[in-house]
Amino acid sequence: MKKSLNIKTNLPAVFTILVLLLLWELLCRTTAIPEFILPSPSAIIYSLTTNYTLITSHAITTMIAVAGGLVLAVTVALLAALAMDRWLLIKRALFPLLVISQAVPIFALAPLMLIWFGVGLAPKIFIVALVCFFPLAVSLVEGLDQVNPEEIELMQIMQAGSWMIMQQVKFPSALPYFFSGLKIAATYSVLGAIIGEWLGARSGLGIYMLRAKNSFQTSDVFASIIIVVILSLLLFKAVEIAGFVVMPWRREKDLTVED
Amino acid sequence: MSKLSKICIALFSLLLIMMLISCSAPAPQDLEQITLLLDWTPNTNYSGIFSALEEGYYEAEGIELEVIEAPGSVLQMVATGQAHFGISYQEEVIFARLSDLPVVSIAAVIQHNTSGFASLKERGIESPADFEGKRYGGWGSPVEEATIKALMDNYGSDYNQVDIVTTGEVDSLIVIERDADFAWIYYGWTGVEAELKGIDLNFIELRLEEEALDYYTPVIVTGEDLINGNPELVDRFMNATEKGYRLAIDDPATAARHLLTNAPELNNDLVSASQAWLADKYQAEAEIWGLQDKDTWEAYSKWLLENNLIETMPDINKAFTNRFVR
Repeated sequence: MKKSLNIKTNLPAVFTILVLLLLWELLCRTTAIPEFILPSPSAIIYSLTTNYTLITSHAITTMIAVAGGLVLAVTVALLAALAMDRWLLIKRALFPLLVISQAVPIFALAPLMLIWFGVGLAPKIFIVALVCFFPLAVSLVEGLDQVNPEEIELMQIMQAGSWMIMQQVKFPSALPYFFSGLKIAATYSVLGAIIGEWLGARSGLGIYMLRAKNSFQTSDVFASIIIVVILSLLLFKAVEIAGFVVMPWRREKDLTVED
Repeated sequence: MSKLSKICIALFSLLLIMMLISCSAPAPQDLEQITLLLDWTPNTNYSGIFSALEEGYYEAEGIELEVIEAPGSVLQMVATGQAHFGISYQEEVIFARLSDLPVVSIAAVIQHNTSGFASLKERGIESPADFEGKRYGGWGSPVEEATIKALMDNYGSDYNQVDIVTTGEVDSLIVIERDADFAWIYYGWTGVEAELKGIDLNFIELRLEEEALDYYTPVIVTGEDLINGNPELVDRFMNATEKGYRLAIDDPATAARHLLTNAPELNNDLVSASQAWLADKYQAEAEIWGLQDKDTWEAYSKWLLENNLIETMPDINKAFTNRFVR
């Protein structure tokens, strides 16, 4: 994917979506499908516009958990990756745990998080962090491994310490990997927050979905799905922009890592 | 300063801000912060609680009540003290007691079981005998199978002729139209919704078919620790809650409004109709709202035991108390 994601390259996707929406609308209007089974796109848009303020307030709750979880995941992943890169023993001790953290079924663990940490913001942040940690940590570790050994040798010849080598060579060369991981993490993060809310919360998009579903208002369920998709896309885009800003030397090339 | 150090500092300051935000929830000094967990989305079963909240009954008792939706883990969290009170149902309390969770039912929200088996009128399911050759859509729990079997046994019908499919969280009204012939619903919510949609239902009420199945659902629960350590708080909570349900009984329209204030996502028409339907069922013929009968607890526990759904009888006297209703 090129960084120059402009209107021209997005056009086919926009066209496909519009055609699908049109077919969907026609299907709903020509057949007698009840709205509580499949609402038409126009009913969904109507629901979005009428419930705009309500959805926004729920979305804010969810995004606070998402932001908290992402920050926590990035912090821990960064610390873990730096430590693993510095000391081989730590890498041997921790890397299998990374894989385990991803293998743990989140649906089984999340209710326990609530039992341990209560029903406040903390367990949601932990769930988001748990979901996001693995792609971040693995991509960072891999990125730090992939650095050109000749550049390190050059730095060593110039009497650079290990921290200096990390700052000047290893970390910058790992950044593209990090941003690839962050993109994956960002798209998972909203889902993580919603899983947390399903299990126990006072507000949030997960709660909005449950309330809509349980009072048989299917068009509101679809409205919240659209909001979740939009938020995930915005997060994805934000990561791309952050990558563009942080890595000026890569602006001429692809932003993603080829592997 | 290098980019790496900058990023590290930025991350840590963000983390710090996050921690501050999550810790700085304003708590009025004079009110006690109490948490209540709901076992489902806000609905008319909980109207008394939302009414008490909106009318300031809890505040008058010195309680600031936080209501959280936590379907699936209410009893675990009440048992571990993560929450003070919760909404559950008799069956769940019995299973929890048998697993040594120190939870106690302190009020029956609705005096009788309003659930039963619903089907579209045109499928002709008028009694459990008609379940033969039909398909049931449910959550796939053993209690459902035992319940269907018990009802059919009363008519000498063959339970093995029923096809059971798991439909999970799918809306029951869709299930009975598309995936199956009958489903287990709460009439006060799903049945009322069907009425509003103009869907004609046959409804087989559980309690009319089998007396033991007239169990309490929902109930308000709390932990043994709270009852023993701070019974006065339980008293104050229940005073306010009782007043709230009194309002829901006497003035369903206002109670519906209070519920909608707290859950504006809900369907207004459904809430109003459901509230009107439930108003005289919260207390029914009981002396006071919330009262639980030992026979009801015993009969359903015995039924569970007879159907091999539990291995031993729970200690009924520890499972519920009428100490906090008056």
